[in-house]
Amino acid sequence: MNRTTVRVVVGVLVAIAVLYAPYYFEPVWNRELSRAAYFAIAAMGLNLLTGFNGQISIGHGAFFGVGAFTSAILVDTHGWSFEATIPAAAVLAAVVGVLVGIPALRVKGLHLALVTLGLAVLFPRVGQKYIDGAGGVALVRPKRREFDSLLSFLADDQWQYLETVLIAALLFLLAWNLVRSRVGRAMIAVRDQEVAASTVGINVARVKVGTFALSAAYAGIAGALSVMIDRAADATNPLLAFRNSIEFLVAVVIGGTATITGPAVGALILVLLRRHTDGLIEGKEVLSPAIFGAALITMIYVLPEGIVGGLGKLFGRLFPARAAVPATAGAAGPDPSTTTTTPTEEEP
Amino acid sequence: MNRSRWRGPLALFAVAMLLMSSCSSRGDDSSDDGGDGGDGGNGDVESSIDIDDCETDPTAEIEGDTIKLVSSYPQSELVGAFAEIARGWAAYFDKVNEEGGVEIAGKSYQIEFEDKDDVYNPQQTASNIEELVGADGSNAFAVFSVVGTANNINVRDFLGELCVPNLFAATGSVAWGNPDYPWLLGSTLAPYTLEAQAFADYLKENQPEAKVAMLVQNDEFGATYEQGFRQAIEGTDIEVVAVEEYPSGADEVSTQVASLAASDADAFFNGATLLACPDALTSKQDEGWEPTTWVSATCISKTLMILAGAAGDGALSFTNLKDPLNPAYADDPAMVAFKETVEQYRTDFKGRALDLENAIILYGYVQAEIFVQALEAAEAPTRLAVMESVHNIDGFTSDLAIDGVSFTTSGGDDPFLGESLRLVQYDAAAGHFSEIGELQDWEGETLSLTPEDLVNA
Amino acid sequence: MDLFIRYILIGIGNGAVYAALALALVLIYRTTGLLNLAQGEMALFSAYLSWWFTTHGVPIGLAIAFSILLSMIGGAVIERVLIRPVTAPGKSHLNVLIVMLGMFLAINAISQLLFSTDAEPMPKPWPSVSSPGDPVGRSARLLDIGNTSISWAVGALALTLIGLCLFLYLLLQKTKLGLALRAVASNPASARMVGINTSAMLMVGWALAAGIGALAGSMVAADRGSVSPGLMTVVLVYAFAAAALGGFDSPVGAVVGGMIVAIAESLTIGYVDALSTIELVVPFALILLVLLVRPTGLFGRRVVERV
Repeated sequence: MNRTTVRVVVGVLVAIAVLYAPYYFEPVWNRELSRAAYFAIAAMGLNLLTGFNGQISIGHGAFFGVGAFTSAILVDTHGWSFEATIPAAAVLAAVVGVLVGIPALRVKGLHLALVTLGLAVLFPRVGQKYIDGAGGVALVRPKRREFDSLLSFLADDQWQYLETVLIAALLFLLAWNLVRSRVGRAMIAVRDQEVAASTVGINVARVKVGTFALSAAYAGIAGALSVMIDRAADATNPLLAFRNSIEFLVAVVIGGTATITGPAVGALILVLLRRHTDGLIEGKEVLSPAIFGAALITMIYVLPEGIVGGLGKLFGRLFPARAAVPATAGAAGPDPSTTTTTPTEEEP
Repeated sequence: MNRSRWRGPLALFAVAMLLMSSCSSRGDDSSDDGGDGGDGGNGDVESSIDIDDCETDPTAEIEGDTIKLVSSYPQSELVGAFAEIARGWAAYFDKVNEEGGVEIAGKSYQIEFEDKDDVYNPQQTASNIEELVGADGSNAFAVFSVVGTANNINVRDFLGELCVPNLFAATGSVAWGNPDYPWLLGSTLAPYTLEAQAFADYLKENQPEAKVAMLVQNDEFGATYEQGFRQAIEGTDIEVVAVEEYPSGADEVSTQVASLAASDADAFFNGATLLACPDALTSKQDEGWEPTTWVSATCISKTLMILAGAAGDGALSFTNLKDPLNPAYADDPAMVAFKETVEQYRTDFKGRALDLENAIILYGYVQAEIFVQALEAAEAPTRLAVMESVHNIDGFTSDLAIDGVSFTTSGGDDPFLGESLRLVQYDAAAGHFSEIGELQDWEGETLSLTPEDLVNA
Repeated sequence: MDLFIRYILIGIGNGAVYAALALALVLIYRTTGLLNLAQGEMALFSAYLSWWFTTHGVPIGLAIAFSILLSMIGGAVIERVLIRPVTAPGKSHLNVLIVMLGMFLAINAISQLLFSTDAEPMPKPWPSVSSPGDPVGRSARLLDIGNTSISWAVGALALTLIGLCLFLYLLLQKTKLGLALRAVASNPASARMVGINTSAMLMVGWALAAGIGALAGSMVAADRGSVSPGLMTVVLVYAFAAAALGGFDSPVGAVVGGMIVAIAESLTIGYVDALSTIELVVPFALILLVLLVRPTGLFGRRVVERV
C-alpha cells in the first residue's frame, strides 16, 4: 500500500464520517460539531496568517465579531437572507483586516500581537457603545425562523451543520490550493526570509496585506456562521473577543501550525475539551478553567508539533515517500505532506 | 485543472446527503413535533397568554411526580460569585423536597434541578439552556433564575416560541415588562427605574434643589438608571449636572469620580455595580467630596460595602429583603431558619466557601420561596397554569422580606414583583444597612414610570 | 487646574502599577524573547498570598516580603518545570504561548480555590487612617499642593516604583549576576561559551519577574483596597501596552511607557467625552504611532535583520 492510497482511503473515510454525523447525533451534538466547524474556519484564517505568513494576531476575535454583527444586523434589521450575508461579512472583515494589515507592514512580531490584542479588547467596548440590540443590550439576535432549513427533508440542526461543514470544506480546499500556488510560496518565503523574498521580486507589502485581508475574511465568515449556529452576535461580554482570539490560536497550535488539516483537528479538540472540562469535577466548578488549562499544557508537551504535525511525522515513517506525488484528498482529507515540506519554524 | 478536482467531492457530497438522510439512526420526527399547542380545545382556560403559536403544548400535564427546573449562571472564572444565588434557591428546594415536595392540584411533586456554567457569556447561556430544555422542550418543565440581562434576552425567543416558562430572571431589567415575551418573568429585584424613582422622591423631599452627579455603566443597566432618573425629576428643581459612564467589567473608576466631584454636585447617584461600586465610594472620599450618596441595590452586599468601609457610611439605597448582616434580625425566626437550611443542605456548593451573611444567597432563597408558593397556587401541573399563577401573584410575602413588603403581579399589565421598597442606609461602623423611613409602594406602577422604549427595546 | 492635577495624580498612581508589572514582563522578555501572558495571574496569586499571610496575623509589610520570596521560588520552578521543556532553540514560540495561556487559566482558578472566590479586603503597607467598620482603612494624606492633596497611596506606589528601578539598575549594571543576565539576554550562545550558566540565569530571570509581579500585585491590591479574582486582568492589558510602548527589552521604557499609558488614560476619561468607555483607544493609538516611527518602541533595541 503506498502513501497516496492510504491518504485517499483515510480521506474518503473521514468525509463519510463527517457527512454521516448529523444523522447519527442528537441536535445538541450537531450544534457542537457545527461550532467546531466554524471555529475551524477562523483557525484556518489565522493559520494562513500566522502559520504560513509568520504574522501573529491576537485580534481575530474582533474580525470574527465584525463578521457576526454584519450578518446578524443584515438579517435582523435589513431582512437579508442569511446565506447572502456571508459574503458581506467576509468583505467587511477583510476591509478591517486591510486596515490592520497596513500598519503591520512596519509593526512586527510581538508588537503586532500587542496591537491586535488591543483590537480584541476594544471590540466589545466599541460594540457596547454603539450597538443597541434587543432589550437595549449589545446583542443582536435574529429570529429563529430566519435560519430555517432550505432542504425540507433535513431538520434545522442537520441542515445548519451541513451548510457550515460545506463552507468549511470549500474554504479549506481554497487554502490548500492557495498555499501550494505561487502566492502561497510567496507567503511562505516572506515568513521564512522577508528580506530575501523581496530581493527575488516578491512584493512583500502586497503579500502581507493580502494575507491579512484573506485571513480576516475567513474569521468574518466564521463569525457569520456563528450567528446561524448560536443565533446571536454578542458584544456584552468584555472578554469574549479576546477569548476567541486566543482560542483560534490554540486550535492552530494544538492542531498543527502551517498544516492544512491542523486547524480543523485543533478546533474539534478544543470544542470537545471545553465541553468536557466544564463542571468535570462535581462540586468544584471553580476548577474548570484549571483543568482546561492543564489539558492544553499536556497536549503541547505530548505533541509539540500539534496533532497533525505529530501524526504526519509518524505517517512519514510508516509510509516512506518514494517521490513527492501531489495527492488528491476528500472534502476534509488530511494532507500531511504539507507538514513535512513546510516545517513549523517561526523564528529566523 | 483545479475545478475538475473538486467537482468530484461536491457531487459525492450531494449524493451522500440524500443517501444518508434515508439511513438516519436518530429518532427524528421533527416535522410535527408536538406542535398542536393551540388546538383551541382548551376554551375553558381563561388565559392572558396567547398560546396559539406555541411549539409545545403548554396545557400538557407533568408526567410522573417530579418537576424539572433548569438554570444557567456563572460558576467559575471572574464572575463565579453569582453562583451564590443558586446556593440559596437550591437549599430551599432541597428543604421542600425533604418535607414532601410541592403540592399542585392535590398531587405532590419533587423538585429536580440541573444547571450549567455559562461564565456570564450570553451565547453560552443560550446553548446551555437549549441543551437543558431540549430542542422540543421535553427535557425540562421550566427555566429558573438565569443570571444576567443579556443572558436572559438571549434565551427569551427560544423559550417564548416553545412556551417554556423562564422564571425569576435574576436582574432588575425593565425589559421583563415587554408584553411580547409573556413566558419571561423577572424576580423580586426592584426594576432599575424604581430605584431611580425612589432616589428622586427622596431628594424631592429632603433636598429639593439637589444638583445630581451620576455614575452609570455603559449598557442598558446604566441607561435605565439614567433615563429613569431624568424622567423622575421632570418638573422639579432637581438637576442632573454631570454624568460619567464606565465600561462594564472595569473595577477602577477614580477618574470618573474625580470629574463628578469637580461638578459641585451635592447628590451622587452611584449606579456602579460589583467592585466599581466600592471603588466609586472610596474615590469619592479621596476627592473630599461629600454629597448625599445613593448606591445601586446591586451593591447591597457584605463583600462590596465592606471594601468601601467608612467611605460608604451614610450611603442610601432601596431594597425589599432583610439584610443578613443586620443584628436586628439575628434572632429573627425566619433568618435563623434560612441560615440553618442553607447550612444543612448547601454548605458544599460548587467548591465555594459558605458565607451565610452574603445577601445574595438570601435573595436566591426568597425566589425559591415565592416560586413554590406560586406553584402551589397553580390550578394544574401545566406550564400554562404555572405561568398564569406567577402572573397573578396576589400579595405573597416572605418572612425574609422587610416588614410590609409584598409581591404582586397582574398579567401583562404588571409583570413586576419587586415594587415595594424601603429606604435603607449604610452604617459603616456597624457594617450593615438599616431600614429608615416609610415603606414605599409603587405596586403596578413600574410600566408607567419607565420610558416605553426601554421596556420594549 | 486642580482637576487637571487630580487626573495627573491618578495617572501616576495607576502608571506606577502598570509600570511595575511591565517591568516583570520586560525581565522575562529579555531572557526568553516572550511576553508572559500569565504574568498578571501570577501576580494575582502572589497578592492573594500576601492577603492570606495578613489573615494569619502577619503585618502587611512582612506579608508582602514573604509573598515576594515564595513567588520568586515559584517563578523559578515554573520556568524549570513548565516553560523549559517547550523553549528549546528552534521550537515554535507559539507552543510557549499556549503553555502560558494554560497557566493563565489554571493559576486564576487555583487562586480562587485556595484563597477566595470573593473580593477580600487588603491592608495597606503605608500610613492609613482607620475608622470603625473599616477593615483596611484609607490612605493617609502625604502632602498638599495648593488645594490638591496627595495621598500616601500615590506616594507609596511611586516610591515603590522608584525603588524597584534603582534595585534593577544596580542589579543589572553593577553586579556579576546582572552582567550574566544581560549576557544571556543579548546573546545566549556566546554567553554559554564564556561559561555562564544560562540555565540558571533563565530561572533567575523568572524568579525576579515573579518577585516583581508579587510586589506589583500586592501594591495594586492595597491601592484598590481589595484582592479579587479579576484584579489583574485589566492591569495586564495596560502593562502589555506599557511594555510595547517603551520597547519590550527596556526597563526604562517600561516605566516611561507605563506612565504615558496611565496618564493618557486618565486625561482621556477626564476630558474627551466622545471616547468615554473606549478610552483604551488612546494608549493603543499611541503604541501604533510610536511603533510606526520606531518599530522597536521608544527605548527598544534595534535589531538588524540579516538574510
